[in-house]
Amino acid sequence: MTAPVLSLRSLHKRFGQKVAVGDLSLDVPAGSMLGLLGPNGAGKTTTLSMATGLLRPDAGTTTVLGVDVWADPAAAKARMGVLPDGVRMFDRLTGAELLRYTGLLRGMAEADVTSRAGELLAALGLAEASTTLVVDYSAGMRKKIGLACALIHAPRLLVLDEPFEAVDPVSGEAIRSILRGFVASGGTVVLSSHVMELVESLCDRVAIVAEGRILADGTLDEVRAGSSLQQRFLQLVGVHELGEGTLAWLRSS
Amino acid sequence: MAALLVGLRLRQLGRSLTRSRWHVVGLIFGVLGAFWVLGLVGVGAVGLRVGAPQLVPLVLVLVTSVAVLGWAVGAILTSADESLAPERFALLPVRAGRLLPGLALAQLLGVGGISTALSLALLLIAWSASIPALVAAVVMLPVTLLTCVLGARVVSGALARTLASRRSRDLTAVVLMLLLISSGLVLNLGVQAVATSSSVQAVLETVSAVLAWTPLGATAGVPAAVATGDWLAAGIRLVVALGTVAMLWWAWGAQLAARLVSPVQASGGGSVHSGGIVDRLLPATPVGAIAARGVRFQRRDPRHLLNAIATLVLPLILVGTQLVSGGLDARFATFLPLVMALMVLQIAQLSLAYDKDALALHVLSGVSGRADRAGRLLGAGIVILPMIVLASVLVAAFTGGWALLPAGLGAALGAALVAAGTGSAVGAFLPGRAPAPEDGPFGRGSSGGAQSLVALAIMAPVAIVASAPAVALAILGVVWMPWLGWLALPVGLGIGALAVWLGIRIGGDRLDRAWPEVLAAVSSDD
Repeated sequence: MTAPVLSLRSLHKRFGQKVAVGDLSLDVPAGSMLGLLGPNGAGKTTTLSMATGLLRPDAGTTTVLGVDVWADPAAAKARMGVLPDGVRMFDRLTGAELLRYTGLLRGMAEADVTSRAGELLAALGLAEASTTLVVDYSAGMRKKIGLACALIHAPRLLVLDEPFEAVDPVSGEAIRSILRGFVASGGTVVLSSHVMELVESLCDRVAIVAEGRILADGTLDEVRAGSSLQQRFLQLVGVHELGEGTLAWLRSS
Repeated sequence: MAALLVGLRLRQLGRSLTRSRWHVVGLIFGVLGAFWVLGLVGVGAVGLRVGAPQLVPLVLVLVTSVAVLGWAVGAILTSADESLAPERFALLPVRAGRLLPGLALAQLLGVGGISTALSLALLLIAWSASIPALVAAVVMLPVTLLTCVLGARVVSGALARTLASRRSRDLTAVVLMLLLISSGLVLNLGVQAVATSSSVQAVLETVSAVLAWTPLGATAGVPAAVATGDWLAAGIRLVVALGTVAMLWWAWGAQLAARLVSPVQASGGGSVHSGGIVDRLLPATPVGAIAARGVRFQRRDPRHLLNAIATLVLPLILVGTQLVSGGLDARFATFLPLVMALMVLQIAQLSLAYDKDALALHVLSGVSGRADRAGRLLGAGIVILPMIVLASVLVAAFTGGWALLPAGLGAALGAALVAAGTGSAVGAFLPGRAPAPEDGPFGRGSSGGAQSLVALAIMAPVAIVASAPAVALAILGVVWMPWLGWLALPVGLGIGALAVWLGIRIGGDRLDRAWPEVLAAVSSDD
């Protein structure tokens, strides 16, 4: 196996008394698309924040293409594109202005920024909305402009937190084909999701996180181990069984 | 239903207090303010009763009208409080009629409602000169209270539709803030106008006599008429007062019913002209991009827009107040633009906080701290430096003190640049708190919170010492030898440039070391 593109080594993070992430290690090889799965509050977003330089871990290291994120942040950040979840954007800019802003912040040449921004807006179906302020975008449009911002500097690693949430099926398909093409050309993707079918159809590697720990990590078939991803996920995380009499009043006779 | 709604309101208030210490501080200040007002009202009522009983009807009609009007204006200012917005009940199977009594009661539960009720009760002391008037006043007390609450509800309900679009919401916020800023000046003008007119009492008597017949003052007009034994006037005013409450009740009910079935939904502002000239004039680098965004946000984000407007208006208001209260000394006026440095200090310190967690983009894209600091200062400077020059020139034009202009410019520009540098350095350590963009400029923490006070305590001495040479030269130039004023200009610009350079380095290096911590500090909502 070649050297991993993203390597997390025994990451720890606690908020007050609560351990959000405890001793989490994960390697993502080049050219793979990894789906990060886990129940609500499992520590997925915390893990991705520590991987991308948004949140300093209490202990542990993150390396991106051999560069330590916390020793040389600028070099590491130049190599990855990130779509954070639940974070505000500079929403008093229009979509086109936000893309230009992101490109220039990343030190790209103006000509590249302009041509790539146009292509990205068209590919994601945002061309008409390019002169509307992002504050007036719908949830799905915000996801798409966030994705465009993550892509504009042609990174070798993409870290996407819930990239398909609230996105319509047409744009969803466009995003899938963009990501497939990106991986086929040697790029690496880490994405988190709650939709098992989507991960099964798109990703070739899967990692399952719960309570801040990795429960399973490997290729899709290794993790599935013969059953469906949904069943395997429930086995690992534990099902919340409903008793016979629960919500009996809800069943109309 | 009413008990349920009142309980809900109380629980909401209780929760907001346990969630953040700052709410408790806010409540304490509110209660202290209320006690102060109640004390004033009590002393005033006793004073009137003892000292000038013949003025009681005149004054009380005016006070009651002000209270009713105050509730309506207050409704505009606090229209952001949507904790009991009708839309929240839209999914429940309840009719508007059943919600109304409980919502009205819930509105009274608060520092404002309780202190209004107590004030009205205290005012009864003043009516006690005549027993029939006192009885009438006691009967009218709940009517007055209802008029206040219902009037406020109807005004805020009418506004809700207008404010649903982002553009008009932003515009309203700016206009209201401007009114608030300049209210001191307007008040000053009003007082001057009344004081200079031949007979103050005659003017007030006319106003009061008219108000007693209108919905604003009718509830006090009834006991006023009873006191003089004018039963016909009392009857007509009673009809006006009760009719007002009935109309307001009906209008509020209609609004509520309408909002339950077609909720007011926030809408956007449509497409925006990009104004590519900003991009063409600024270099296509991280610094240029951050500066261009700064310039755009000065126009598009009401919080930034207000800061920019306040910076320009502040010295002009001071000039205005000086002019009104008689005479403006040119030598003093020359230094009025210096107050703009105070705004610059705050803008530079709070610029990270205004971004809230959108700042994540700067962290993710690996922008160097120095580029961040320099870009923000450049963006603010493009807007504010011309304002400072403009204000200095305007002051010189008003007072005819053109000879003092170089001294004034040197002091103001020097102090503003020093403030910009100090703010950038300290802001990277103590970014402060700012209201979220969607909260509007009246949201909590609009002045930066306790952290900003600490930051100010650090920044103010540094900024004052650093700008002292230029200001001292300017003062000497004004009072002693004019050529020293010319010296103030290069000295101010030189020291200012040095301060900016240092601010960018110190603040920028701190950001490079601590981006995640700064991001966490400005993202926090409490």
